[in-house]
Amino acid sequence: MNRRDFLLGTGAGLVGGALFARGVDPLFAAPPPPQAVWVENGEPAQLLAAALKEMGGISRFISRGDVVVVKPNMGWDRAPQFAANTNPDLVAAVIQECLNAGAKTVKVFDRTCNNPLRCYANSQIEEKARAAGAEVTQIRENRFVDKAINGEVVKEWSVYKDYLEADKVINVPIAKHHSLSRVTLGMKNLMGVLGGNRGDIHNEFNRKIVDIDRTILPSLTIIDAYRILTANGPVGGNLAHVKQLRTLIMSPCIVSADYLALELFGLKVEEVGVVNEALKRGLNKFDVKALNVKRVRLS
Amino acid sequence: MKLRRVVQVGFLAFFVILFLIARYPYSGKLEADLFLRFSPLIPLFHFIQDLSLSWVLWPALAILVLTPFLGRFFCGWVCPLGTTIDAASKIVTSPSNRVSGKWEKLRFFKFALLFACILLAIFSVHVWGYLDPLSIFNRALTVVFYPLGSFFVSQTLLATTKVPFLETPAFYVYDLFKGFVMPEMQAHPQQFFWIALFIGAILGAEKLSRRFWCRNICPAGAWLGVLAQFRMFERIVGEACPVCNKCQTECKMNAIPAGDVKHTSKVECIDCFSCGAVCPPKIDAITYRWRWKPYHTPIDFTRRQFVRTTAGGAVALGMLSVGLKNRDEKNRQVRPPGALPEDQFADKCIRCQECVRICASNGGCLQPDGIRTTVLDLWLPVALMREGYCEYNCNLCGQICPTDAILPLTLEEKQHTAMGLAHFDKNLCIPYAQNSDCIVCEEHCPTPDKAIKFDLKEVRLRDGNAKMVKYPYVLRELCIGCGICETKCPLPGQAGIVVTTENQHRAGAPAPPQQEQPTSPYG
Repeated sequence: MNRRDFLLGTGAGLVGGALFARGVDPLFAAPPPPQAVWVENGEPAQLLAAALKEMGGISRFISRGDVVVVKPNMGWDRAPQFAANTNPDLVAAVIQECLNAGAKTVKVFDRTCNNPLRCYANSQIEEKARAAGAEVTQIRENRFVDKAINGEVVKEWSVYKDYLEADKVINVPIAKHHSLSRVTLGMKNLMGVLGGNRGDIHNEFNRKIVDIDRTILPSLTIIDAYRILTANGPVGGNLAHVKQLRTLIMSPCIVSADYLALELFGLKVEEVGVVNEALKRGLNKFDVKALNVKRVRLS
Repeated sequence: MKLRRVVQVGFLAFFVILFLIARYPYSGKLEADLFLRFSPLIPLFHFIQDLSLSWVLWPALAILVLTPFLGRFFCGWVCPLGTTIDAASKIVTSPSNRVSGKWEKLRFFKFALLFACILLAIFSVHVWGYLDPLSIFNRALTVVFYPLGSFFVSQTLLATTKVPFLETPAFYVYDLFKGFVMPEMQAHPQQFFWIALFIGAILGAEKLSRRFWCRNICPAGAWLGVLAQFRMFERIVGEACPVCNKCQTECKMNAIPAGDVKHTSKVECIDCFSCGAVCPPKIDAITYRWRWKPYHTPIDFTRRQFVRTTAGGAVALGMLSVGLKNRDEKNRQVRPPGALPEDQFADKCIRCQECVRICASNGGCLQPDGIRTTVLDLWLPVALMREGYCEYNCNLCGQICPTDAILPLTLEEKQHTAMGLAHFDKNLCIPYAQNSDCIVCEEHCPTPDKAIKFDLKEVRLRDGNAKMVKYPYVLRELCIGCGICETKCPLPGQAGIVVTTENQHRAGAPAPPQQEQPTSPYG
């Protein structure tokens, strides 16, 4: 071995070692996953699959052995076509993905506004979620625990125990018109796990909901915009107010997802107090003005 | 007598099963009100009311046809109240007829009651429903036994879940219980105390004698007794009878005269066949057989009693007609959708609480009413919207009403039948009283075009600042009075929006004229 070979060998070894140590990732790695995904023109399960593909797969959010709560909106005694409740096929597809990713159990529940048995049945979520392998249970009155909120207005509120004890939460709201908050999306959907007199949240709604949501943020928010309700919300009841958009919005940041969903209704953030308040209070994970959104149109 | 007991328990179980299926989801394949239509009183009083009979009462008609031949078999074999009374007599240990024979003088009272009920019914005052045995039993199940039983079971199981190692099994049992026995929420009926007292008195009277209610008070028993005077299925006592009087002292109904064990009062006997069972086995003097020339037993109702009852009935009629009806409460008598006009409704309703039962598994607005404007309001179903609301997609109360006091409406019809009208109480309503947003009522309003709308108006506060507030109002032509606004109003006590009977549309009555209203009170 001469000096030249020695130097070459050492150099190559060092470079190789350095590369080995760092892994080859930096050279071939995909760009970081987007902060939010907007998929349109598909059936619920297709929309979800495409969105998760862009997001880097469900395993980014769900680990093997997790206890997962999937929280749809099934608060109203309405059939799916009235767009008052989350699309049952989407809920079933989300459950399937979680179980495929190795989740131990997937729980589905909602504290409904109409009679709970009727809501669970007529939203078709109970039947389809159960078929997909989830544990669908009625709210048990003694399973609410008082949780310290220590917010600006709300100091304490009761929250459903199963929700608090879950390893991961996937929030699956439907995009709907709402007269008080203008629209109801991810942030308002979390009211379905709250106990107590929820009507009390309605004055100073924006501040109270941001107070509470700050302490119970989900791992992933999937906004169902397969059908949206454009008026007479949140109950609906008139098919003329239902718009079929065949769209889905997904983000690990609940505020970013809600912010994006305002586009569905052609609203500006200034018009929607609750999103505005959330941004003002810094509840968002990402800068919504420079949000990295991946938009996909299925064919 | 094993067979009789099996049949009795079978009918009781059938009644309870029908009671349990009277809830959402309700298929109607097995009609939950079927057993209530067994009541022999309903055809009698409906005939007095309408001079016609409806085929839906076929179970009762079948009993009425069989009774002249078989006697009061309904009381001994079928009636679930009778079975429950028999069970109660085991618990409180009723005395034999040697002691309780002294109550025989009260026997006439059931005929007096029946006759007084008929008298009042002829003058179109219907009080018999309160005393109908099937109605009494269903009322007790709905208001007392089921809520009490389900409360104890569910609370015990929930308490057990707090024990760490029992949590999983207790929740498993709890889920089974909630899945099959009590899927709906805990019912909290009003009038609980009075209805419990009523059924408690009937069962407690077993301490005085066996079947005290059936012997002395039940008007259905009296009516069947009237039909059974000549019954052809007779008890025959053979020559071997040593007159040991065992059958006489053990008779549930005291139907065997003390000095004459060879005869039976056909009016009182309920076909329980205990007499044959207690007859000493070596003697076995008692047989039962058909006779085409039956003997007749008279009804224990003297002419003097008849005259007195007539007088008493007239006094009752006068009292019920003359007494002041409290007008203040009139507009809070919100009735179920499909209810007949108020007078007919009160006449047809037998206060069985079947609608209250099925409503408890839905919106839960129906409750047995108290004495609101007059005594006869007692236990009529009333919609208390602060406690529950009429579920927009539910029309079950009309489907299970045994007497059609509430007519069955299609869901479409029901969604357009106004039970009443919501009114804001602006002294309480949060936006008006506190200048603060709320509109929970508007959020829940279920009509496809919301009957509650709001104006966004600027209000100048005392500190000089201006604020935008949403002020809600009701559109009369859209409101169906379902009351979810009143139920969900977040105020702690009295609601800021109240449903009254205004604008209500009763079944069979022309729809109230729609008034032209400005779209907004603020123009």
